[in-house]
Amino acid sequence: MSIEIRDLSKHYGTTRAIDGVSLILDDSVQVLALIGPSGGGKSTFLRLLGGLEIPTSGSIRIDDTELPKSEKGIMDFRRRNGFLFQSFNLFPHLTALENIVLPLVEVHRRTRDAAIARAHEVVERFGMSAHLGKMPAELSGGQQQRIALARAMAHEPALLLLDEPTSALDPEMKAEVLEVIAELCQAGQRIVLSTHEMGFARGTADEVVFLANGRLVESGTGGSLFGNPQTEVVRSFLGKVMKW
Amino acid sequence: MVSTLVSIVLAATFCFVIWIVATHDYQWKAIAPYWGNLFSGWWMTLLISVASLIFSVVIGIMLTAGQLSGHRIPSFLCRVFVEIIRGTPLLTQILIGYYLIADAIGWDSRFGVGLVILSCFSGAYLSEIFRGGIESIPKSQWLSARAIGFTGSQTYRYVVIPQAIRRVLPGSAGQFANLIKDSSLLFVISVHEFTMQAREANANTYATFEAYLPLIVGYFLLTFPVSLLSRHLENRFRYEH
Repeated sequence: MSIEIRDLSKHYGTTRAIDGVSLILDDSVQVLALIGPSGGGKSTFLRLLGGLEIPTSGSIRIDDTELPKSEKGIMDFRRRNGFLFQSFNLFPHLTALENIVLPLVEVHRRTRDAAIARAHEVVERFGMSAHLGKMPAELSGGQQQRIALARAMAHEPALLLLDEPTSALDPEMKAEVLEVIAELCQAGQRIVLSTHEMGFARGTADEVVFLANGRLVESGTGGSLFGNPQTEVVRSFLGKVMKW
Repeated sequence: MVSTLVSIVLAATFCFVIWIVATHDYQWKAIAPYWGNLFSGWWMTLLISVASLIFSVVIGIMLTAGQLSGHRIPSFLCRVFVEIIRGTPLLTQILIGYYLIADAIGWDSRFGVGLVILSCFSGAYLSEIFRGGIESIPKSQWLSARAIGFTGSQTYRYVVIPQAIRRVLPGSAGQFANLIKDSSLLFVISVHEFTMQAREANANTYATFEAYLPLIVGYFLLTFPVSLLSRHLENRFRYEH
């Protein structure tokens, strides 16, 4: 994906969640991973990239189009993307099927029949066909995330944004969700993901960005950033998280 | 252990009360001429309760929408209205509403004025219940709805309100029961509702218990169906298993 970010900032009151980040990526990058300490700005950066938040200052160009800065304008851009958060993505009062069908019908203007057919198709890919009729509360955490991922994927998003998608899951469920995400990466889906799964980031991402205190500390390919970190901050972070 | 004890105490108290009430020496003949009035009073209470129940829901929704609108002035005005209505006695609202305000605009329908005041009173309480229900929907649900690309009204329609309905049902049912009983205060502007008829029967016959006991049955016949309906709806909107 071609991304051009210039001097991007997002402030909440006096908190500088993102503080002057610039980044240029070319078309060869299909999967972008954001790593770094909690509270370092990964989530905010991802939300800015997906059009869920509007920057305080600076600009983002994706595929040579500058993201609009008004809530109204950014809505169309946002709708072309798909989001998955840590947890509680699904609407608890709707079945798994309805969770996927509702946005297809109401946001993407598909007919109900087409939406249902599409839901079955995506869910089959994620091995969740047997669970379509269930309520979210009847699904395990990993199953909920896979349904939520199916919902984020159902309209064939230009960009899939995953915000620590496995952080709230136990190891076994983590594995089953990461497997699905890895498969999407292989299938050519453009993905931006923030994660604490260093092995996964290294294995799947074409580019890894390290964020701390709202600033971009270092970026590079998985191999170079993990294999040969240039800054002390990244070295010490990786040293700590890889130790155990 | 505790539940057994509570059951025993409740059952014993209940039996004792029933026994005391049932074994009293009643003079039913004394109020026999007033049965017709009592029934017409009950009917009036039913009418005014049902009508103000409907209006109070409408007013409650409007007050909630005003408070959550995000526009400062409507939000402030709705807040002020709710606080004044909730913070002052219904009795004084009825008196001022009828003898001062309705009089000033030349409106002389006791039923109409009573209906409006009762609806505003109950609507103010309902709006707080509705607001609480909407604000209890977790932030993650709003975020999910935004991420999907829902507009504000789609978020309310498909995500927030369906979940909030279930949460506001018990509180609303309680408020409806209160509304039915509060309608008895309309006697101060001589609306001939149920309680007023009982007061008159008592004043004319001095058969106090005989005049007032029908109120217990009559009001319960109105409030119990509300309670049943609420339970039924709670089950219908249940989504957790």
